[in-house]
Amino acid sequence: MSFLADKQTLDDLNIPGRYNNKSIYRIFDNVITGGGRKLLDDMFRYPLTDHLAINERSSIFQYFDKNPAVLPFSGESFSIVENYLTTGAGATMPAAAWNIVYRKLLKTVIRDNSYELLVTGLEKTITLLIAFRDFIYKLAELGAYGPVQEQVEKIRQIFNDRRLLWLRKETDVKNIPLPKLIKYDYQLRTGCLEEMKTVIDIIYQFDVYIAVSTVARTKHFCYASALPKHKNVINISGLFHPSVEHAVPNDISFHPASNVAFLTGANMAGKSTFMKSFGIAVFLSHMGFPVPATEMEFSVKDGLFSTINVPDNLEHGYSHFYAEVLRVKSVAEQVGASKDLVVIFDELFKGTNVKDAYDATLAITAAFSEHTNCFFIISSHIIEVGEALKKEDGSFRFLYLPTVMEGNVPRYTYQLKEGITADRHGMIIIGNEGLIALILKRE
Amino acid sequence: MIFNTDKQTLTDLNILGKPGADSIYTVFNHTSTRGGAAVLEDMFRYPLAEKSAINNRSGKIRFLQSVDAGFPFSSGLFDAIEGYLAVQDDRTRLSPEGNTLARKFNHLIAADTNFKTVSDGVRSVIEMLHTLQGFFIDMTKMSADHPYLPDIAEMKKLLQDPALELVLQEPAGTKLPYEKVVAYDQLLRFRFRNELGKMLSLIYHLDVYITVANVAAQRKFIFPVALDAGSHHIRLEGVYHPQVPKAVPNTIHITPENNVVFLTGANMAGKSTFMKSLGIAMFLAHMGFPVPAEKMEFAVRDGIYTTINLPDDLSSGSSHFYTEVLRIKKIARELSKARNLLLIFDELFRGTNVKDAYEGTVAVTAAFAERENGVFVISTHITEAGEVLKEQCSNIQFIFLPTRMENNKPVYTYRLAEGITTDRHGMIIIKNEGILDIIGKKKDKNKDV
Repeated sequence: MSFLADKQTLDDLNIPGRYNNKSIYRIFDNVITGGGRKLLDDMFRYPLTDHLAINERSSIFQYFDKNPAVLPFSGESFSIVENYLTTGAGATMPAAAWNIVYRKLLKTVIRDNSYELLVTGLEKTITLLIAFRDFIYKLAELGAYGPVQEQVEKIRQIFNDRRLLWLRKETDVKNIPLPKLIKYDYQLRTGCLEEMKTVIDIIYQFDVYIAVSTVARTKHFCYASALPKHKNVINISGLFHPSVEHAVPNDISFHPASNVAFLTGANMAGKSTFMKSFGIAVFLSHMGFPVPATEMEFSVKDGLFSTINVPDNLEHGYSHFYAEVLRVKSVAEQVGASKDLVVIFDELFKGTNVKDAYDATLAITAAFSEHTNCFFIISSHIIEVGEALKKEDGSFRFLYLPTVMEGNVPRYTYQLKEGITADRHGMIIIGNEGLIALILKRE
Repeated sequence: MIFNTDKQTLTDLNILGKPGADSIYTVFNHTSTRGGAAVLEDMFRYPLAEKSAINNRSGKIRFLQSVDAGFPFSSGLFDAIEGYLAVQDDRTRLSPEGNTLARKFNHLIAADTNFKTVSDGVRSVIEMLHTLQGFFIDMTKMSADHPYLPDIAEMKKLLQDPALELVLQEPAGTKLPYEKVVAYDQLLRFRFRNELGKMLSLIYHLDVYITVANVAAQRKFIFPVALDAGSHHIRLEGVYHPQVPKAVPNTIHITPENNVVFLTGANMAGKSTFMKSLGIAMFLAHMGFPVPAEKMEFAVRDGIYTTINLPDDLSSGSSHFYTEVLRIKKIARELSKARNLLLIFDELFRGTNVKDAYEGTVAVTAAFAERENGVFVISTHITEAGEVLKEQCSNIQFIFLPTRMENNKPVYTYRLAEGITTDRHGMIIIKNEGILDIIGKKKDKNKDV
């Protein structure tokens, strides 16, 4: 079963999107091969729900993080090689030979360039294979190639294949005589086609491993350790938002005795950013990817639901309130279906009166808290909800993001604190803009 | 004086709309002539801010409706005339000496297009003038004194010239000899060009008046009465939205003693529609146009500003709030110039959390209540704000659009009632959707185990 995260969640957290500058995907999108990108896409599309699989993938990234490596060729030359290898030569040696001779003939008669293209493709392929073989051997020399052992072994086997032994001897790839040319072309594109496909696949994988581990190293991400489901815990320290510059790190933890974080703070105090960071860390950790934090351990969950920007659907006749209700309902259905979830609600029930918003937030928060297998972050401006929850004997934890007033100008620390704050700055903005005075002014 | 409004208001009320889409303009856009359509659009772009001008225009339309006047011209006529008069190039002027045998001979072989255009133009103008004469007679026969007479007098004055009277003696539709075409062309296209231009403009206005009168008759719109600006008084009975099928009419009465209207109600109860109906009626009334209502009297305003669908920037809640603050700031500046304005705010501060919205609404509404030169209509779903304002200000009238629960389903009457709504359907909707039960499922399951 795949990890659940619906479109609203992905949009809230801005996770997918190769063409979206600020997306999380873009942070990791440093692959050089098309196949690598497809692999990366798949990882983003299907996060894992098995802690062993997560830790295994994560250990590969960690290995490359510790042993920095760069693929010994460029994306362009790889695509030429890929193109060459996948077009296929003749099915038999004579057919392949005829194919080459025919092109050579064409070249002399009508100055056709396909012969040259073929020779360049072959030369590049040989160069690249040799380079990749050396790259693999270097990894092997380092000894502890643990998590990628399987791939390394496969590559070694392929290069030790009797049919490819000539690769070792060939050092000068320029000016290969015609008979050899025919032989190599046939071996690479027909004889050892399966082996070459394996090599390409492994290159794709290495491409992703290297790209992701480089991001972790340069951006100071850490590797989360996944725990089995029944541990029911999330501990993150130094959590920050990867797209925010000079992001302030925060710690957060969840366990059954404290599974609901009730978050208060002014509009600009960083509530949404903090909640997004948390969502992003949960999502990435379930992909086995490095997370923007200094340390993280988590028990595997079934899914992640966030409600940060509920789109208005007034055109469809829904009021904002109703849109929110429907969103909460769809999350409630998942929670009710005994799934282990992480749920993020930012400022619920904006589109109704204060009393209804209070009642609704209180009722929903209290009801959710009973599901100790799920973790919730719920933000609100209605501090009375917090006070009411405090009186209940529940698994709540109260956090706030403070505002420091310097004269009339609010400053934000972005540093989580325990407790509830009544900070709001709507009236401060109204005051700073001199709105009331302006309305009353007479000329 | 100019009637002030802005793009946001025109968009909110859907006055001009997007090309091709329905709008208030398209309700009236059935003119016979293209010139009429242009005049109509101008009227929409520049509503009037003076009582006399408004009553004057609405009087004309009302009169033309009462005598069931029809537009006496064929619509194609004006395309020909406009085309003819537009050519002011001296080289197209015919010369009296030009009627040579050579021209006639040439004309036999291939038509002389220049001559043909000119003679067609002259004939069209003559036809128009004849129809106009007939129309004058009809109109003066109606009654001794009516609001459209000044326009007729103006048109007659334009024609008062011995030279033009000569043209008028020419019977309509006959083929004119060359010499006469030359002479009339000289008169109509060059000497009396400005007079004819003014004449056309008056005819286009007539086209608009008659069209609007017909629309009003068809749709049963009524003619509002404009009052002095100083009376700060709006009485609207049975006002409805012209583009909502089976719209429910409502009545509202705004006086200087209660110039702030505080409208509450659930989100789907029809708050926006009512505010739009009010805005549209006031806008049309300031154009001197008939309005979708049963009865209307209004003190002339200097402008209308509405804030109904402020473009949402949902990516950050605070910026939407800030947009609203800036919009109010802009409007407050207009207010401080002592202009008499009609201001409509739908769901004030809906971009922020309930608490901020509550405080903001109270503060801003209370400040508005201090301004006697504005008529304010403010809607909100935050009923608590109303309770506080009731204590604070004396010149606020509270109205609401009720929601009735029938079998746990909300039913909306769309009919205004006095007071602040006590409807509390938020929790009912949550219960209807069974959310708490859905969340609670697992708990029960655990108990069973």
